[in-house]
Amino acid sequence: MLYRLSHTTSYKYENGVTFCHNIATLKPKDMLGQKVVNYALEIHPKPTDFSEKTDFFGNTITRFSIQDYHKTLKVIAVSTIEKDHTLMPDIHQSVSGKSITLSEGLQHLKHQDPGLWDVKQFILESVLIANISPEIRAYAEVSFQPNRSIFEAAYELMQRIYTEFEFNPNVTNVATPIHDVILQKKGVCQDFAQIAIACVRSVGLPARYVSGYIETLPPPGKEKLVGADASHAWFSVYIPTFGWVDFDPTNNQIPQNQHIITAYGRDYYDVPPLKGVIYSSGDNKMKVAVDIRPAV
Amino acid sequence: MSIDSNTLFQNYFSDFRNYDEVLKSDMSINPNWERLLTNLSQVGPNNLNAKQDEVNWLMEENGVTYNVYNDPNGMHRSWGLNIVPFLIHQTEWENTIERGLQQRAELLNLILKDIYGERALIKHGIIPQEVIFAHRGFLRQCDQIQYPASKNLLIYSADLARGPDGRMWVVSDRTQAPSGMGYALENRYALNRVMPNIFQNIHLKQPSQFFHEFNQMLIDAAPQNKSNPNIVILTPGPHNETYFEHAYLASFLGYPLVMGNDLIVRNGKLWMKTLKQLKQVDVVLRRVDDVFMDPLELREDSYLGVAGLMEVVREQQVSIVNPIGSGIIENSGLIPFMNAICKYFFNEDLILPQIASWWCGQQKERDYVLNHLKDLVVKRIDRSNRENIFFCEFLDETALNKLRQEIEQTPYQFVAQEKISFSTAPNFTNGILEPRKVMCRTFAIAKQGGYSIMPGGLVRVASERENLFVSNQRGGISKDFWVVSDSPQNYIQNYSWDNASNQTISDINDLPSHTAENLYWSGRYLGRALVTARYLRMVLNRMTQEQYNNRKSESESLELLYKSITHITSTFPGFVGKGSEKRLNNPLEEIVSLMLDEKRYGSFAQTLSSFNNSYYSLRSLWSKDMWRVFDGINKQWRKFKDAENYSVIELSKVLDRIITRLIAFMGLIEESILVNQGLLLYFIGLQTEQAMMNVAKCRSLLVSNYNEQLQYEILESLLTSHESLNIYRYSYRSYLSLENVIKLILLDKDYAKSLTYQINRIKKDIDRLPYSEGSNQVSICQQKIDEAHRKMQSLNIENLLLLSSDGSIRPNLDDLLAELSDLLHNTSMAISDTYFNHSYQQTQLANQNFPIT
Repeated sequence: MLYRLSHTTSYKYENGVTFCHNIATLKPKDMLGQKVVNYALEIHPKPTDFSEKTDFFGNTITRFSIQDYHKTLKVIAVSTIEKDHTLMPDIHQSVSGKSITLSEGLQHLKHQDPGLWDVKQFILESVLIANISPEIRAYAEVSFQPNRSIFEAAYELMQRIYTEFEFNPNVTNVATPIHDVILQKKGVCQDFAQIAIACVRSVGLPARYVSGYIETLPPPGKEKLVGADASHAWFSVYIPTFGWVDFDPTNNQIPQNQHIITAYGRDYYDVPPLKGVIYSSGDNKMKVAVDIRPAV
Repeated sequence: MSIDSNTLFQNYFSDFRNYDEVLKSDMSINPNWERLLTNLSQVGPNNLNAKQDEVNWLMEENGVTYNVYNDPNGMHRSWGLNIVPFLIHQTEWENTIERGLQQRAELLNLILKDIYGERALIKHGIIPQEVIFAHRGFLRQCDQIQYPASKNLLIYSADLARGPDGRMWVVSDRTQAPSGMGYALENRYALNRVMPNIFQNIHLKQPSQFFHEFNQMLIDAAPQNKSNPNIVILTPGPHNETYFEHAYLASFLGYPLVMGNDLIVRNGKLWMKTLKQLKQVDVVLRRVDDVFMDPLELREDSYLGVAGLMEVVREQQVSIVNPIGSGIIENSGLIPFMNAICKYFFNEDLILPQIASWWCGQQKERDYVLNHLKDLVVKRIDRSNRENIFFCEFLDETALNKLRQEIEQTPYQFVAQEKISFSTAPNFTNGILEPRKVMCRTFAIAKQGGYSIMPGGLVRVASERENLFVSNQRGGISKDFWVVSDSPQNYIQNYSWDNASNQTISDINDLPSHTAENLYWSGRYLGRALVTARYLRMVLNRMTQEQYNNRKSESESLELLYKSITHITSTFPGFVGKGSEKRLNNPLEEIVSLMLDEKRYGSFAQTLSSFNNSYYSLRSLWSKDMWRVFDGINKQWRKFKDAENYSVIELSKVLDRIITRLIAFMGLIEESILVNQGLLLYFIGLQTEQAMMNVAKCRSLLVSNYNEQLQYEILESLLTSHESLNIYRYSYRSYLSLENVIKLILLDKDYAKSLTYQINRIKKDIDRLPYSEGSNQVSICQQKIDEAHRKMQSLNIENLLLLSSDGSIRPNLDDLLAELSDLLHNTSMAISDTYFNHSYQQTQLANQNFPIT
């Protein structure tokens, strides 16, 4: 499957900005099952400094600064992505992966196998997922039981979040703590992903945050609107003896070809699409438009 | 020496419960201390008391302070130095401590490199991954950064204490921005000055060479091997607990002291904002903690660092000392693994012992800890301050259970340590020596091929006799730390290195804009304080006089003066607006409020406190004499504030005293700071404020037309408040006339207190300010002050004196003064806009407000 993806972020500054430093995590990952055919990042006004580096988690980070006075900032990431999920290991084909139970999995992780160090860091607390509350723990334990398969439990967790949480873009923001989300059971993809990660970690398993996009299909008979898509997020669980398996609790599915991966992190804090420090005294307005469509 | 005969040691025995530095277990004296004790005995207990007082006095006089957070009396608390030093013999120092610190510094350096590089220690299972990845000090943003310097860890500090086995143990490691070196140096100077006798026949190792190497390390740290790098010292600001030391090191080493907003990242480099332009910075000696260094990549809410700094570091365009991220090795989770790490890197054991520690991330260790909790001291691996240490023997059952739960929930975050009783050393308290726990902070500096160790360091003493813990956070006592040798040593030098290679002779162009701003405002506040004080004093004196002669015009003029106070200080409604009648009936209350109410904008107290703030920020420029007078003003003021009832006479007396000190202080500023160091900005601020106040006074007193008697009283008051009555009499030898007063106060070209003179002076000084090259045009501040200057040149006295048609006011004078007031105000605004960089107001692109702890 070949996609053409564009992600545009625009800022309008009330009083203008004398200069700014920014960090963007927008470049899709080049990995097994997902090939970046081409990629370009356009920035207006033209930045003075620009660099592209790989971060601790292996994501591509772009840093840029603009030193001229400006009233608007526009960052457009455009790429062509080839997806073929059949190239990736399939959990359904792995008997041991599908059947390993929580207690077996924990035992497996307990071995001081230094090779697992980069996996095991995802069991630990992170900036936005810390001091996991008893409510979250209890929510996790409904699905995760010692003698149940991890895969089954994680799948059920995804389903429960999908059915029990209301998708509502007006109740949370990037700073809403997970402990509030679990109580009000409302939020967006990023909240759902982080709740799931907190649940998985609370039982002692590694879980990571996946930032990316999902292609949405228009209602039957309707033309797809340009920019109707949004950036997306889901979670990934490490299943001992198998490896990482992604789950999308917002759409109740295991990501296949419709999901495009940009970055992995411990939570949103590690991989915000665009952040920055500006030198300005006024308010600003932000607009985001994402468009994914099959490239022919 | 016989102990019994030594009165200093009275009752020392009764306290002898554990290992003491001086008394051995067989009650004999440690021979290393004998000479010192002999010297102390010769001084005698009574003289020792006097000497201790003298040291306390000296510390206060020199402004050696330590700020204590969250304590209303904690700001600028005087640093405590006990007159009895702590000492260690050279043999022990060189054979174990120095070698041990060098080994540990090398080891921590390798750990730091490995953690942010290859991570072989984790991959090979030498340290568990949680010890690093669960530590808040592990900054993933610093991963794989390469540094130009040969070592990553450039400054290292360790707290040592003597354990029950008689060896010095490592208690904790400090690697981000260790404090204490400056205090240690000042301790040595102070003791040298107050008690030269106690050094008699004792050969001391001096830190001169160490500070030379410290300076060399900073120079060598510069990227691209610059021979003449630009080095700055970054402080969180005057409220930081060790701000004294930041300023002290800045003036000792001769580098500018800057705050985060003095620096900026542009074109991939770090720059210091100076008056003239941006100046590239090569090395930052920082006293700001890791996570506050870059609001772009680290803590978003930090205003102490510089946005974009991390990337400049990655590109090796600047060196930060110590590198950002080095806080990861302030990590008690590493302690249980240190010996294995030492074996791994060096194939040898640690030289300096550590406290037995159990990391709870391992099952066996966790079980041990939970079973013996009551006998242990528990810490989080990434929190080493006293507030976060659990001394379990003192915890009740509830607290213990809570701790148990926390350990079980995230065991990898906890380390438990054996409780150790460290040695005591004699402390001079209330005329006798008593044993107190001591902790020795030592310092290491990277140099070619190794680490150089400061001989001695900073010794801190438990604040009470029974106290087990030693901490400065609560404002403790310190000791000079002697390493004594059997052979003669060099004397301590004041400034020890050759500065020839180091271009520290700066000119006004290089003045950090934030320093410039503080100097400017110091001038303005000082000017305001002086004029306000003199004016209030004049009014108070008039009030006293009125009690004796009860003339009608007198009280009429007094009312006018009360009203003028409100105008001049802009403290409306005061004596003119709403409620003024009530205040005019009881004027003293309003005047007391104008003097004392710090929250009231325009009050004398508020001016003085604003002046204090700008002035503390300039600490690295102070001379000791300046501090002394400054401290005198504050003491006088505090004493006055604490009084309960104020009479007119008392108020005027206190103003007398403060005015004298303010003037002494102004004299000292002028002789202590060079024009190019920034005195120019101070002058501009001072003259601008005085000119503005001068205009305000004339406007409220000279514009209205009064009858002859009233006019006389008003003119006399004006001249008195201006301290110009004698000069008037000398110059005019006549009855007071409005014409002559205006000639003297506004028009005289040579009289330093006349407005014409002041404006000429401001103009001259503004012309000396740097302005951007290439722009031939005149700056806005120049335009404004030129206009004021031209106005003053073209004045005509007859014209100014013309009365309005109803004869009530002098409209031309009023217009002129109004225009001048605006022009001076606009000049000040233009200076601020041009030179103080307010356009850089840092905010986050998206307001994220993450809950970071």
